[in-house]
Amino acid sequence: MKKGSHTPARIALYGMDDRTCKTMEMYLKGPCRGVAVVVRETEADIDVIDADHPRAKDILDARKAATPNRPIILLSLQDLRIDNTFFIKKPVNVTQIVDVLGKIKAATAPRKVFFNPVKAAETPPAPVEPVKQAPPEPPRKMAMDVYAKKPAGVKHVDVSEQQKTAKHQSAVQLNEGGFTAFLGTVSDIDFEDSAQLLTACYDPRQSFLGYVQSAYKTANLQSRALQLNSIWKPLIIFPESQEIWLDADDKQLRAFAGMTLGKNATGSMVLVPFDNGKAADRAMDKFQNMNTFIWKLALWTSKGRFPIGLDIQRPVFLVTWPNFTRLVITPDALRMAALLVSTPKTPLEVVSLLRVKPQYVFAFISACHALGLLRQSERQVDTVIAAEPPQKSTNKSLLRKILGKLLGA
Amino acid sequence: MSQYKIIFTGPVGAGKTTAINSISDVPPVKTDAAASDMTKNRKSSTTVAMDYGVMNLAGGEKIHLYGTPGQERFDFMWDILTVGGIGLILLLDNTRADPFQDMKFFLDAFGKFINDTSVAIGVTQMDLSGKPTIDDYHAQLQTYGLKPPVFEVDAREKNDVSLLVQALLYSLDPGLAE
Repeated sequence: MKKGSHTPARIALYGMDDRTCKTMEMYLKGPCRGVAVVVRETEADIDVIDADHPRAKDILDARKAATPNRPIILLSLQDLRIDNTFFIKKPVNVTQIVDVLGKIKAATAPRKVFFNPVKAAETPPAPVEPVKQAPPEPPRKMAMDVYAKKPAGVKHVDVSEQQKTAKHQSAVQLNEGGFTAFLGTVSDIDFEDSAQLLTACYDPRQSFLGYVQSAYKTANLQSRALQLNSIWKPLIIFPESQEIWLDADDKQLRAFAGMTLGKNATGSMVLVPFDNGKAADRAMDKFQNMNTFIWKLALWTSKGRFPIGLDIQRPVFLVTWPNFTRLVITPDALRMAALLVSTPKTPLEVVSLLRVKPQYVFAFISACHALGLLRQSERQVDTVIAAEPPQKSTNKSLLRKILGKLLGA
Repeated sequence: MSQYKIIFTGPVGAGKTTAINSISDVPPVKTDAAASDMTKNRKSSTTVAMDYGVMNLAGGEKIHLYGTPGQERFDFMWDILTVGGIGLILLLDNTRADPFQDMKFFLDAFGKFINDTSVAIGVTQMDLSGKPTIDDYHAQLQTYGLKPPVFEVDAREKNDVSLLVQALLYSLDPGLAE
């Protein structure tokens, strides 16, 4: 376009606050290359209305009444089709703005007259009256501010949920030093010995973890609260809310989780129905999220070993990311998750690729396995055919610096 | 020097400003309130049309944190806002009537940017409304063919926001080490 060969359209904005108007002004001036300028209502050739404004219908009616021949552009998240208006769907982009302004310009007289509603209409006008008022739209067609706060649509707030403080605690992120103490050690396995790694496993069925997982499955199947009695403290499982209730702290749980249960102990495991009416009597701070609980239990049962039945020479992958903000975060857990979500790898490959200690990898995959997030590729070929994640351009140096900052380095 | 930034988006009230505040090294510029009390030496900031924070990095670099205001007001800014962005943090308010609709809207709107970079999703207000669960979000995301990190987040908790950003960074490069 030759310099000075175009005259910017003069538009007035409605249904927008000062900040939005200012931003729109900048947007038209910058990315839209001055295709339009924001002016006062009295000087405008075109009206632009945010149709998601709660009072958009009133604004539209008022504008039609005040300047019936002035073209109107509606901006909305919804697809609106209203006679004698132009429409731009949000998010607005340069192409849309330029296109619609072009249509308006083409449809209007070449000089000063910037309007002819009949020709300018984006949607077919009514056949009889050229400037007929738009047919009344149901209220929901206008002012459909689906993203503004809608008191009527906001869900019921569960007050008791806020009292379950343990459920919503932020994650504990453990560094290597703290984690070894946290995890516990297995004296009869040398994790430095690659031959011993292959057999560094544990059997969840011989531990509290196995019984809890089984009880949780049963509770889910029966869709009712169940109580797991043992030689230790009773554990109550609420499948509907995915919670457990246990009157014990983490130290006690850790000690019990690490025990291999003998015949006497397993004989005491009994699963009985729990009367939901009694739940109200329970201390609210003893409720825990089921996944958070099982995750901890798996870490303490694992002690750096992998669960029996998992072939560590075959690739594994994560179905989804764990909800890390509510879990104990083991060293390098986020890195392992990112890798295993994107592509299957054997646990031993994870060890070498990310340079993570085997016991950290095994503890992590144990916890993911216990939550059902980890799967094993059925055949070796799955790995071969698995698409490599797309390489995205990253500035490693910058990302490392951000990471260092977040980790407080 | 290049302008690197992380974009925080989501519906009104999801906690974008609070999240930025949690990890920013400077008080965030919250333009809703700031416009009227800007001092003269910060006058240039009056044209800022989004929430803004900064993380000062080693070596003098900065990472800029931009929060898109409620999209019903500023959606037309998105395509220019994402230029130079290294990734997207999407915050969703679990107390809203249909958080999945919100999620879809933002994933669609930022689709190209997400495809070029990465996204991490934080679900806020789960202590007020437990449903949908994080598993429900994952199930919904799988229908879009996406497997991003989805965490329960309290935007006031620095640790939660930090983990979300860490997950975003590792999504970009799992081999990344401090």
